[in-house]
Amino acid sequence: MPTTITISPVTRIEGHAKITIQLDENGDVMDARFHVNEFRGFEKFTEGRLLWEMPGITSRICGICPASHLVTSAKAGDDILAVEIPETAEKLRRLLTLAQWLQSHALSFFHLSSPDFLLGFDSDPATRNIFGLIAADAEFAKRGVRLRKFGQEIIEMLGGRRIHTPWTVPGGVREPLDPAKKNHMLQWIPEAKETVLLALATLKKIHVKYAKDIPEFGNFRTLFVGLVSKDGGLEYYDGVLRIKDGNDNTIADQIDPKQYAEHFGEAVEPWSYLKFPYYKPFDYPRGMYRVGPLARVNICDYIETPLAEAERKIFKTLNGTVNVVNNSFYYHYARCIEMLFAVEKIEMLLNDPILLGNNVRSLASINRSEGVGCTEAPRGILFHHYHVNKDGVIQKANLLIATAQNNIAMNRTVRQIAAHFIDGKMGKITEGILNRVEAGIRCYDPCLSCSTHALGQMPLHIELIDAKGEILDEVRR
Amino acid sequence: MKEVLVIGCGNTLRGDDAAGVRAAELIAVRRPDIDCLFVHQLMPELAEQIAEYRAVIFLDADANATELSAHLIAPSDGTEQPRTHFLSPESLLALCRLLYQRVPATAYSIGIPATEFEFSEQLSSSTERAVGESIRMVEHIITRVQAMI
Repeated sequence: MPTTITISPVTRIEGHAKITIQLDENGDVMDARFHVNEFRGFEKFTEGRLLWEMPGITSRICGICPASHLVTSAKAGDDILAVEIPETAEKLRRLLTLAQWLQSHALSFFHLSSPDFLLGFDSDPATRNIFGLIAADAEFAKRGVRLRKFGQEIIEMLGGRRIHTPWTVPGGVREPLDPAKKNHMLQWIPEAKETVLLALATLKKIHVKYAKDIPEFGNFRTLFVGLVSKDGGLEYYDGVLRIKDGNDNTIADQIDPKQYAEHFGEAVEPWSYLKFPYYKPFDYPRGMYRVGPLARVNICDYIETPLAEAERKIFKTLNGTVNVVNNSFYYHYARCIEMLFAVEKIEMLLNDPILLGNNVRSLASINRSEGVGCTEAPRGILFHHYHVNKDGVIQKANLLIATAQNNIAMNRTVRQIAAHFIDGKMGKITEGILNRVEAGIRCYDPCLSCSTHALGQMPLHIELIDAKGEILDEVRR
Repeated sequence: MKEVLVIGCGNTLRGDDAAGVRAAELIAVRRPDIDCLFVHQLMPELAEQIAEYRAVIFLDADANATELSAHLIAPSDGTEQPRTHFLSPESLLALCRLLYQRVPATAYSIGIPATEFEFSEQLSSSTERAVGESIRMVEHIITRVQAMI
């Protein structure tokens, strides 16, 4: 009799999720799925609202990455106004985007994943958490809190509020930067840099400690998608889309992000609220792709800051002679490289005199009926696509969220880890195995609070399926 | 040390989930002498700020409650699995103690009964009433705390 093992909820990821692992008659893992139970309908909710409200509304979708929605929404607004925003405004938005990367990556690395790394996958679950981490290395944990606080403080100082600041608007930003705030931000740089370098050194020891486990953490070829600058550098705010495969072949390059819908489709499965985006020319599900830190560091030709670029070169040697890293465990490494880049680039921006300019907003009325905004959110590329009427009232919105774009790969990762670590004949899952499955998901740092948003599209549907494909039980609501 | 910090928590796009934020916003208007924070969710870095106060009052929607409630709370024992989506007030107090060796002497968690969590920026009428009651409860607690200082 096939057995289905359910792990619910997935701890230490944002939102709520469930994983089911189906065993065949021999007790081997036949399939594993990452279900999303949390239901959001933000796209429908925004219809009828004014374009100028959208940054403030969409930034309230999620408490983890509000600034990414804020900036991306404002960029969609720029497109509809058909304006080029002032240089100072662009640099301030870039600063905000990097602050979002830093605080989000710090949370992922120090608080969610480090307990696994430093305390061990097989350690007591009662202490394998942030409190156990503090007991083991209080200074490391405290540094993580402060690094996140640095990112949050920049967001707060730019917008006046830490969460859901409506400071970024279509056409630019509302207010110039106060020089005193700039100086305060600069004071954080040495400590932040030191903390990220400590994180990198710690992670490299982890790579050695878990050398046997790591090859099973989502190690497969996919496409990688992200923004790069026009000359191929790591990009986070603007630029063009590049698509590479798992053998480092460039599949597509220099794509205008506004054309995203021509290249990416969104499949749905009856067992998850989360959409399954795919690369259209390869069809679903072969068009599986990954976004976020692993993709960004894989597809770029260089990073403009020196310390991060030196780490990128080391990262590129992880897969021997193949110039691309296919193992999802190395999302953590790529995340640390991006934290380093963020700190270095924030310092560069803060020392740029243009940042203190007073011309921060281009004013215009509605000049287009449709607009697309695109940035790199901490978890990957984020698209906001709005249709408006002549008064700027939203008629239709589509948000393509990073976590959804990693959905096919997350499911594949769960299946790979489950197949390797679970011995169904034993009839039980140890805490260590359970946590490895969850840790596989955490590599992607999914943020489910904002990624499920298909209001009225699909009811909750749970199925129990046997080896013959027959439904043993199902629940709808 | 500073005196009292009020933290309102919730998603302001999800109907009654915003109850804690709405209550804290009203406190901020009525009591400009009291520091108030409005947050989507409780996050680790708040611990450093909370540790600076003699008293902290958390306000949040409570889907399981039928009546307004206020509980004196203490730091957790650190054995829970924090899901950062909703780090609990008790977990935050534990972070204060472990990271900064300071915990507010008085900590209250006020649960505001909430029933409707659809996409809306409006509170249900029952939660709206409960928010009003929570203001009086918070002011009563503030008065007691300040009398002890």
